[in-house]
Amino acid sequence: MGFSSTVTKVGRSVGGVVGILYQAGRDTVDTVIRNVIPFMAFISFIIGLILTTGIGDWIAKGIKGSASSLPGLLLISVVCAIPLLSPLLGPGAVIAQIVGTLLGVEIGKGNIPAQYSLPALFAINPQVGCDFIPVGLALGEAEPATVEIGVPAVLFSRMVTGPLAVVIAYVASFGLYTSAK
Amino acid sequence: MHFLAVGFLSAVTVDKPTGVLGALATGAEDFIKVFNKGGSVLLSLMGGILPTLVVLLTAVNALVRIIGPERIENLGKAAARPGLQWYPVRYIVLPFVSVFVLTNPMAYTMGRFLPERFKPAFYDSAVSFVHPILGIFPHANPGELFVYVGIATGIQQLGLGLGDLAVRYLLVGLVVIFIRGIVTERITARMMTKSEKGE
Repeated sequence: MGFSSTVTKVGRSVGGVVGILYQAGRDTVDTVIRNVIPFMAFISFIIGLILTTGIGDWIAKGIKGSASSLPGLLLISVVCAIPLLSPLLGPGAVIAQIVGTLLGVEIGKGNIPAQYSLPALFAINPQVGCDFIPVGLALGEAEPATVEIGVPAVLFSRMVTGPLAVVIAYVASFGLYTSAK
Repeated sequence: MHFLAVGFLSAVTVDKPTGVLGALATGAEDFIKVFNKGGSVLLSLMGGILPTLVVLLTAVNALVRIIGPERIENLGKAAARPGLQWYPVRYIVLPFVSVFVLTNPMAYTMGRFLPERFKPAFYDSAVSFVHPILGIFPHANPGELFVYVGIATGIQQLGLGLGDLAVRYLLVGLVVIFIRGIVTERITARMMTKSEKGE
């Protein structure tokens, strides 16, 4: 007891905290290098392609009509939520990320009003996790019988909640970036 | 390589190239333009959001390590209780905390504290939250950052702030996962009784 045990205590706890922070930094750099930067490289290429070639204008024409009105966004969400399509569109959220980037480019150019960004975030994403249901349920230690029912239950639920999410987001987007117009 | 190409091409374009070589030169210029543009986009991403992201991820990762994932187990047990007042816990609080602390995909392991009939609904609820959380807490799912960042970049180009969009995305996300949880729970219950009758 006394002085030396206090020193030990302080030294240990400081060491522990520094260790945690260092490990957190290591984890972060790991994720960034393995997951974030590769996607940035890939997205940069796509944006470069869109901005310099005529593809951008072509996409703009196609997207502008559907992404800058509520019925158009609803249509996108209904298509993405079709139970046969949604598991195909899901993996890695790659489709949602590419479409999100395309929409971002069009919003930046002013082709799509800024307040549509919020409903668009939900319109492009009703398929989230639809590819992963059996694995996700297995992670939750679900029984095979539950998985058998859970997969169609989630897929059917998305048919309702996908478009519903767009409507909620649309209502919630009132007053978002309106003064900037 | 890049400088060489530009230097060479600008020398060629001085006297307006024509014919086959001219077409090739124009083609080469257009070709490298795509990658120059892509490169400047990459640089703006790396210089713009990446440093903030790294620091933020480090801080939150450290916080999660200090909290310790095992502490949220009690929350999982509470969410398993039947009754109307536990719905918000099961489909708002538990998905939020699991996605924040355990991140994608380990967040779904919290389903193990729930009875079988709630598991699909909890998964639906939790997985639907891995993107709305990104605006404020990107550590939860950094591999799929561009669902949000893609659209957010457009807002930034207009010179508008992202705070409003990020907060609304998170709040609407919470409402949506709550509704999803309830709807999926109902559908699961109906399908379970149907399959029991069929046996």
